[in-house]
Amino acid sequence: MKIWTSEHTFNHPWETVATAAWRKYPNPHNPAVIGTDVVERTVVDGVLHTHRLVSTKWYFPKWTQALIGSAKVCYASEKSQVNPNNREMILNTINLTFCRHIAVNETLKYVPHPGDPEKTLLKQEAVVTVKGVPLNNYMEDILTNKISLNAGKGRQAMEWVISKLDSEVKGIASSNLIHQTKKSLDDITTSAKKSMDDISLKAMKSLDDIHNLANSPNHQEI
Amino acid sequence: MNSIGEACNDLKKEYDSCFNTWFSEHFLRGNTNDSMCAPLFKVYQDCVKKAMKDHQIDLKECEKDLLGTDQERKVPNAKS
Repeated sequence: MKIWTSEHTFNHPWETVATAAWRKYPNPHNPAVIGTDVVERTVVDGVLHTHRLVSTKWYFPKWTQALIGSAKVCYASEKSQVNPNNREMILNTINLTFCRHIAVNETLKYVPHPGDPEKTLLKQEAVVTVKGVPLNNYMEDILTNKISLNAGKGRQAMEWVISKLDSEVKGIASSNLIHQTKKSLDDITTSAKKSMDDISLKAMKSLDDIHNLANSPNHQEI
Repeated sequence: MNSIGEACNDLKKEYDSCFNTWFSEHFLRGNTNDSMCAPLFKVYQDCVKKAMKDHQIDLKECEKDLLGTDQERKVPNAKS
């Protein structure tokens, strides 16, 4: 059994990171992930529970193919809890394929950074166990190294998704700005038109008044 | 992101986009009522469950600990 742990700080608030975590795939850094499916999802006591099936395409080195077959689609089961009250997102993933030989149990935890609530801390742990194959210790090392490499890619992927989200939010913000500008212009036009109407109405009234005055019996008397 | 069932892709995209909106605009703001995307989730679920059956994916199989038990696969040589 091998245990691998790691920590990483994202310079983004927890809400942004949690939103990005749901939109992590597809991304250019993890092309092996070819599908995610929600199998179960419920909200219990304010906590969102999700069970997802993650499909990945693996290309195995030629020498392993005799043992485990050629490139194939592997499946993993991911269970997660999102608690917005204490700002915590936990994802636990286990492999479904090869589970009679290999157990890879990975936990990701996104929490606000204890020193800066505007930042998010990712705590990651993976437990790798290989049994029932020759060189199992060696296989555990290979898998653990692979996980370490993939963790770096996963963080890059998260940053990539967050920057995409940011531009989306800016897109929404600028379209709001355009909308508001248009609204202000409309307001100005309306009030200008109203003033003009008022002026012409008043002018008309004054003209009428003058006319009335001119035609008033008093005037006639003069 | 695609679904395991090709036929479910469109249903999944519709549901995902509903969920993403619900998650950031409702759930993270304290509204835990998840009925907003429920109809989309239902049709997508029906499709996925069928696709999983077609792909013979059993989510329960790996839930129990197999390693270290009789069900663990042994080194082929050890048996002969």
